[in-house]
This record gives sequence, C-alpha cells and structure tokens, in this order.
Amino acid sequence: MTSRRGFIAGLLASGLAPSPSWADLGGPAFLSAAKDPTGNHLLAGLSDAGAIRFTCPLPGRGHAAAAHPHRPEAVAFARRPGRFADVIDCRDGARLARLLPPTGHHFYGHGRFSPDGSRLFTTENDFENAQGVIGVWEVKQDYRRIRSFSSGGIGPHDMLLWNMGGEPQLVIANGGIETHPDSGRAKLNLPEMRSNLTLMSLEGEPQEVMELSQELQLNSIRHLCLSPDGTIGFAMQWQGDSGAVVPIVGLYQPGSTPRLLAAEDPRLRGLQGYGGSVAFTPDGAEIAVSSPRGGLVQVMQSANAQIIHEYHLRDVCGLATSPSGLLASTGLGQTFALKKDLIELKQQHDLAWDNHLVPLI
Amino acid sequence: MIFRQLIAPPSFVFWKASELKHTLFALTTAACLFATASRADLVDEILNDQILPAMQALAESSQDLARVAETICRPGASPLRDAYAQAFDDWIRVSHLRFGPSETDNRAFALAFWPDSRGKTPKTLANHLRAADPSLLTPESFAQSSIAGRGFYALEFMYFDSGFNSAKPHEYRCALTAAMARDIAANATAIHRDWQGSYADQMRQASGRYQNETEVKQELFKALNTGLQVLSDMRLGRPLGSFDKPRPRRAEAWRSGRSLHHIVLALQSLHPLAIALADGDQELIKKLDAAFQKPILRALRLEDPRLEGVADPAKRFRIEALQQEVNDLRNLIASDLGPSLGVLAGFNSLDGD
Repeated sequence: MTSRRGFIAGLLASGLAPSPSWADLGGPAFLSAAKDPTGNHLLAGLSDAGAIRFTCPLPGRGHAAAAHPHRPEAVAFARRPGRFADVIDCRDGARLARLLPPTGHHFYGHGRFSPDGSRLFTTENDFENAQGVIGVWEVKQDYRRIRSFSSGGIGPHDMLLWNMGGEPQLVIANGGIETHPDSGRAKLNLPEMRSNLTLMSLEGEPQEVMELSQELQLNSIRHLCLSPDGTIGFAMQWQGDSGAVVPIVGLYQPGSTPRLLAAEDPRLRGLQGYGGSVAFTPDGAEIAVSSPRGGLVQVMQSANAQIIHEYHLRDVCGLATSPSGLLASTGLGQTFALKKDLIELKQQHDLAWDNHLVPLI
Repeated sequence: MIFRQLIAPPSFVFWKASELKHTLFALTTAACLFATASRADLVDEILNDQILPAMQALAESSQDLARVAETICRPGASPLRDAYAQAFDDWIRVSHLRFGPSETDNRAFALAFWPDSRGKTPKTLANHLRAADPSLLTPESFAQSSIAGRGFYALEFMYFDSGFNSAKPHEYRCALTAAMARDIAANATAIHRDWQGSYADQMRQASGRYQNETEVKQELFKALNTGLQVLSDMRLGRPLGSFDKPRPRRAEAWRSGRSLHHIVLALQSLHPLAIALADGDQELIKKLDAAFQKPILRALRLEDPRLEGVADPAKRFRIEALQQEVNDLRNLIASDLGPSLGVLAGFNSLDGD
C-alpha cells in the first residue's frame, strides 16, 4: 500500500504534483508556540475552534511564527534572546531549515513573509551596536540570508505587512528598549528610550515614522494588528510607574496622527501597563488587547475609543481575529472564543500556550 | 552588621508542638487572629522600619553631600569622599523602590543614569565643561539638562575619572560638581517629602492609588524582584559578559571601586524586605535567610571591589557562583513567596515580551 508521503514523493518525482498548499492540512487557522508538561517546546497548528491540527518540536522556547502565504510552511521564531528560527513543513511537522542570525544578532520572535512569499523578514537585535535590524531571507534559496537593513529604531519586535494599494510596506514596532544577552532581559536604556512605528519599503527605505509624545516616552510599542481598512492597531507596554493610567492600545492610519484608545479610562489599570497581544474583530470595528499580568482581555471600539467588554482569563496572552470574532489562548492550555458578553471555552489541552496566536491568512 | 541581621530573632511567636496537640481549637482561632493582625501590619512594618527611614537617610546624606560640595571640590579630600560615599550608599539601599515618588518627574533616572551603554555620561559632561556656561548651573536650568549628566554616576566621573577630576576650567568644574550635588539633594529631598507627605499613607490606606492591600503587597514584591534582577543581570551580568568576552569596564561604579560594595548593599536591603513579605511564615523565613546568607557571605569574601576577577579565569567562577546564588534566590522567591502574595507565576504573566 502506498503511504501518503510515498505517494506525494512519487508525484513530485513525476513532476505531476500540484504545489502543496495550506488546503492539504485539514484547515489549521492559527499557529501558536507552546510548552508541554515535560517542559519541551513546540509549535502547533490550531483550527478555528482551537483544535490541534499538527505539532512539531522546537529546540527552545518559541514566541510568534510567520506563515508562508501559499506554501504550507511556517517559520517558528525563538523567544528573545533566542537564536533559532525553524522553517517547518506544516503537513508533517518536518523541519525544512534552521535559520541562524549573524554573529552578534538574536531574533526578537516575530517575522513576516513578503506578499509573494519570496522573502522572509525577521526582526533582530544587533546587540553589540544596540541597533534594530530587519534580516531578509530568500525563500527559494533554502532561506539564504541575502541582506539586512536598519529597523528604524532599537528593539524591533512585531512587524506586519501593510498592503493597501501602492507598494507594500513593512510596519515595524520598534519597542525602543535596549537589551543585551549578557544581561538577560534587563532593560539598559529606559531613561532615554524612544519607541516608534516605522513604515518601510520591502527594500528597507523608510517611508514614515510615528513617535508618541514625550510624556509617553516610556510606552514601548510592541505588537501590531491590521484592520480590513488598513488601520494599524498597536499595543504598548508601559515601562514607567505602575500607578500611572496610560494608554495601552492605539490606532494608526499612515499619514495621520495616532489615536490612543480609552486614554482616561481608569479600567486601563486592569491591564497593569502591559499589552501582550492585540487583534481586531473581523469587521475592524473593535480591537482587543490581552494582558497576562492582569489576567484580562479588554475590547475597545475603534470609532469612539471606549472599552466595551472585559474578559477575565487567567494567564491569557494569545489573541487573534477568527471568523466568528476573537480567539484567545492561555498559559493554562485553554482556547476561548470571545463574543460580545460571552466567553466560550473551545478546547483545553495539556499545554501552556505561549504569547501569540498567529493567524494563517 | 550583616551578621546581626542574619541572626536576628524571629518576629513571630512559636508554639511548642506538645502544647499544640492539646489546644487545637485554640490554635486554629489564635492562628486566624494572628494571621489577620500580622497581615495588616506587614505594610506598616515595611514602611516604618524600612522605606521611610531609608528615604530619610538618602535625603539627609544627599543634603550633606550638597553642603560639602559647595566648598570642596577636590575628590581626594576625605570629607567630600565620605559624603559622596554615604549618599551613594543610601541611594543604592532604596534603588529597588522604583515606584511612586521616585518616578515622579523622572527623579530616579536623574539620580541614577546607569547603565550607560552608549557612553552618554562622559559626552554630556565633556560638553558641559567645554561650554562652561554659568547659566546651566542654576537649580532650575540644571534640572532641565540631560539626565546623562546628572546624578551619582555622573558625579562619579567628575570625582574619580582621571580625565574629568582635574579637567579644566577648574573653577567651572567645581561649580559644576556643586550644582550636580545640589540637584541630587533636591531630587532625594523631593522623593522623601512625597513618601512622608502622602505616598506612605496611600499604601497604608490602599483605597486610591492602590485599590486593595494585595496591590500594595504586589508592588513591594515587584520591587524585590526588580532589585534582584538588576543585581543578577546588570550588576553581575554586565561585567561578566561571556567567558570569551568578559567586560570588567562595565562593572557598576568601578572608577570609585564600589562595584562589589553595591552588590552587598543591595542584598542587605532586599533581605529584610523579603523577610517582611514572608509575613511570619517561619519555614519560608528560614529558607529566605539561608538563601540571602549565601550570596552575602560570598560577596563579602570576594575581595574584588571592582569585579576585575571576571576577566581572570581563576577568579571568574566565584563571581559566576555569586550570580547563580542570586538566581537561586530569585527562583525561591518566585516559587515560594509569590503565590502567598497572590502573584501568579503564569507562563505568560511571569515576564513579558
């Protein structure tokens, strides 16, 4: 009897195989890194409902991942200051390649493919020079590193692709915080940190830089999401006094000034100054932010900037747009659908879901 | 002084096991009452015995430094050297309390611009000396100047770096160090004033800035963790670098030979905070005492004030062992102390990204 893999191999050999695609996989919709009960790290593909579709082992703690736009391939990134990025064949969990950053760099845990899938972009720390770097990798040449360029700031973290007509651009969240592997996760430049959102061409030419005002200098822009109309949602992590009521979520339309949501609302304190993940609802009318420290997800209205829902979920961090609304994941292995006033437990796994749920499309 | 702390009698009453058997009901009742009473006292105890006196000491020694620096600017002169050492010691003792008054108007940043990974402090000071602008030196305009040129670490450059401590013009250098010391005193005094005037009460009342007592305890717990992280990752981690690339010149305040001293001071001030947060749990207090004792004793025995041993393979392992003991302490605090204070060490909530 021909095995599936053997069959596919045969087709490949005969040149008759259709290119493998995400459709071959039984519909994973999200990727998430996780830790299993024995302490091993892995990347999992999850269905819309949070069911596991595949897993593959990782050599250390993962963070986020990037999904190839066409091929059923994903790149799982090490959590900073890790140095691996594993390219995984999501059909069987096989590792296709391991990317290593140049000496003196580490990954920050996020990356994106170009719209045509030909290149991978990675956020990196050039830690001896305290400079943020975007690494560029050529997919067709077994993910060979072909070049790099400045990220436009220190500490580039999340990155997304802004493709709203015209040339596609990278949107880079430069968190502004200098770290060095010698000093663990200690923050080395808080008195002088400046975070920004930088828009760049895929060739690394800066197009636009958005900085917050001086009194929000200690707010580190880390995570990003995109609404259907091209609005960039960003979540921040406050490095100043824990008592301050500071905005954690903002909206940005390139070319205009950013809007900070719920800025005076005392309920913001529930987030404990920490936005872990951020995601729009499918129509873009609402934006959700998670705070594992506060055990809280807050949903804010894009139009009037008000908090309209709060969900208390212990150790919640992963958050993603799903067809029916929002999906959240926790360090306790749960996935929840969040909709209006309802929290619905979708799945419970014997895993600790890590920081992010990454949508495949 | 350390030994006095280490062998201090427990602040909690022991019952003998034999007596307990006969008075189980009484014990349960008593323990509940005691637990309640002791919980209410925990914050008071930390404020009255630790934070407020330490903030007062910092304000007073900083004012003293400012006074001495008005008339003496020779760093070799012992009154100045002593006043600087005392005020800097007092800062290190509270440097983990990074919330509330220390964060208002960036006071703590202005007192302690460290680490200075880009060498901004010497650049800023060199600019000041080159410009020799008298108008910089008024309290108002100096308070507006770059924080890289203010505070204890900048003053260390002026007093102990051979390029700066005899820099010309001599008169301006003296006026600059006097202005720096005045600025330190102003910030330290403002921090103390806010603690005494309102912030301590806000922590006691836990009904505004803090919504309940748990939030107050979590703030103090966070300060304890921050202090230990700075100790392990920065005070030790930065000079340690890697085996192939040690970085002795990244040791904190090495010019004045205070690197190791700061490690001891930090451990000595974090120790009573941890003990107080253990809130009378004798088992935990014993574990914490032992876990603090190890790195304190090791640090005292190192005899390497500038941590130069990081670059000497024969000595380096002792500094690595010190770092390991601090990390063991952090693990103990996360696993045993955190949960009792309602701090969930979740996979995602533990430390951010």
